[in-house]
Amino acid sequence: MTPQNNRQTGTTISIRPLTAGTVVKVCLILIALLILTALFSTMVGTAKITWGQLWNLLLGNAAATDPARLVIFRIRLPRVMLAGLVGFSLSLGGVVFQALLRNPLADPFILGVSSGSAFGAVLGIMLGLGFTFGIPVLAFGGAVLTMYLVLVLGKKRIGMESSTIILAGVIINAFFTAIIMFFIATAANDRLHTMLFWLYGDLSQSRFAESAITAPAVIAGFLILYCFARHLNVMTAGEEAALHLGVNVGRAKLICFLVVSLVIGLVVAFSGLIGFVGLVIPHLCRMIFGSDHRLLMPVSALSGAIFLIAADTLARTVISPSELPVGVITAFLGAPFFIYLLRKRGSRWTGS
Amino acid sequence: MDGILSLSRVGYRYGSQWALRGVSLEIGTGELVGILGPNGSGKTTLLKIADRILEPHEGTVSLKGRPLQTYTRAGLAREIALVPQENHFQFAFSSLEVVLMGRFSHMGLFQFEGERDMEVAFASMEAAHCVQLAERPIDRLSGGEKQRVLLARALAQEPGLILLDEPTSFLDLRFKKEIFELLSSLSKERRLSLMIVSHDMDLTARYCDRIILLHRGRVFSEGRPEDVLTARNVEAVYRCPVTVDKNPATGSPRVSIV
Repeated sequence: MTPQNNRQTGTTISIRPLTAGTVVKVCLILIALLILTALFSTMVGTAKITWGQLWNLLLGNAAATDPARLVIFRIRLPRVMLAGLVGFSLSLGGVVFQALLRNPLADPFILGVSSGSAFGAVLGIMLGLGFTFGIPVLAFGGAVLTMYLVLVLGKKRIGMESSTIILAGVIINAFFTAIIMFFIATAANDRLHTMLFWLYGDLSQSRFAESAITAPAVIAGFLILYCFARHLNVMTAGEEAALHLGVNVGRAKLICFLVVSLVIGLVVAFSGLIGFVGLVIPHLCRMIFGSDHRLLMPVSALSGAIFLIAADTLARTVISPSELPVGVITAFLGAPFFIYLLRKRGSRWTGS
Repeated sequence: MDGILSLSRVGYRYGSQWALRGVSLEIGTGELVGILGPNGSGKTTLLKIADRILEPHEGTVSLKGRPLQTYTRAGLAREIALVPQENHFQFAFSSLEVVLMGRFSHMGLFQFEGERDMEVAFASMEAAHCVQLAERPIDRLSGGEKQRVLLARALAQEPGLILLDEPTSFLDLRFKKEIFELLSSLSKERRLSLMIVSHDMDLTARYCDRIILLHRGRVFSEGRPEDVLTARNVEAVYRCPVTVDKNPATGSPRVSIV
């Protein structure tokens, strides 16, 4: 923070634009927090595990027959990892869509990806498919299908106008929701429970394989999207202004739409629909860290991961040994906190 | 003429309706050109064609002797900047951050602003008299302050040509004059070319080197302000009875509605 002296006016300007160092520093702090949250989350639950036990397990010192080993490596750690990846993606998707569509109410599901994958998942549950393969494949297929439909419908007009895209998303959403409601109305009782859990987000079926599939895609998606961080900054000034400032708006939009929708479609296929994370976490981060996407994107993504791991820990402990869908917790915690912040900061959506 | 932008028989239509037809013009280096004309005469379309937001259906546009369509978007932004009528920001950025957006086309993929970007940003804010606003959020500024920040953003692009789309329409008398004086000094001292679309006939007449009067998508009259802003021309184009005399203080033409 070196003050910049201005020769002519004598004004001292103490702000500096964002530096790479700041981004790295903030991210390292959040990564440390993420690791702590993850470790803590693996310790709590029906079977209590102490720091000492956890330490030994992670170092590989425990006996192969230790029941704690099973709990941690087969049940809790896979779940924590998936929760982290899902939270990371949802929040990242929210940040990108809010900037891209210049709409503070945008979330990663605004283009209808949620209803498409829900349609696929509910269909899979109706057909009696399993959570390891059948349901995720159908859910992902549904997400890709909706994304394709929205882009084809929205592209008719010049350069994918945002309002057209959103409208196309709303229409597709309504259509698929109708089909989903039909399935729910006609579903047998045992399947109904599974469906409702999927629709409110459920991480209880997590395995390592799922994180292994999603992690590379999520990281690749982040890296691609991060290349557009400055484009997104400029695009918040409006698409035409962005063109004047040298942004190839059409290309940036198309790539961001595709990458976000694919990543979200993929994580949602394994997690179900977890609401609120993609809307609230970006706003919280914007209030705290400002609007520069070079900082906002990694910070939101990491905060989303932390938040969802914590929420999922609550989801499986609050009414233990029973479980709640994690979406119930995210909305239950997120909404009041968000309202509090809005009131405290006035009605502005923005940080500064 | 030592031209920077040149349009040759340019035409553009919305559907089957020609908004602009057969327009040829040159903008010289260091020239301050005013574009006047009634609503719907093609002024804004002309600006959009000059910055390739719209591609003309007829004719050619060239910048520094090169066809406009051979430029990349970023390459174009390093040559031409635009100051809009107003700019709404969805999320809060400080004025400095907004000015630094003008550096977009000069920076690489991951790049963070360096010393040179900061120097250019501050020099631009000095030129536009808005250094003192650097830390203020852009959405909390008054109209006049905001417009100066947007001008600084345009200057930070280090362009040879700045297009201005009714930059003074929401400003009061004093800010209008300030902006025009600023533009005039930029064109004289820095040899910047400026093309300004405006409804302020008197100010345009006083500060611009040349005026282009548009009517129904064609150039109706072009030349020095006193030659273009005659009662006959203005009445024909605006369909409104006027008198034109000399402003006793400045000597520039003064248009009054009768």
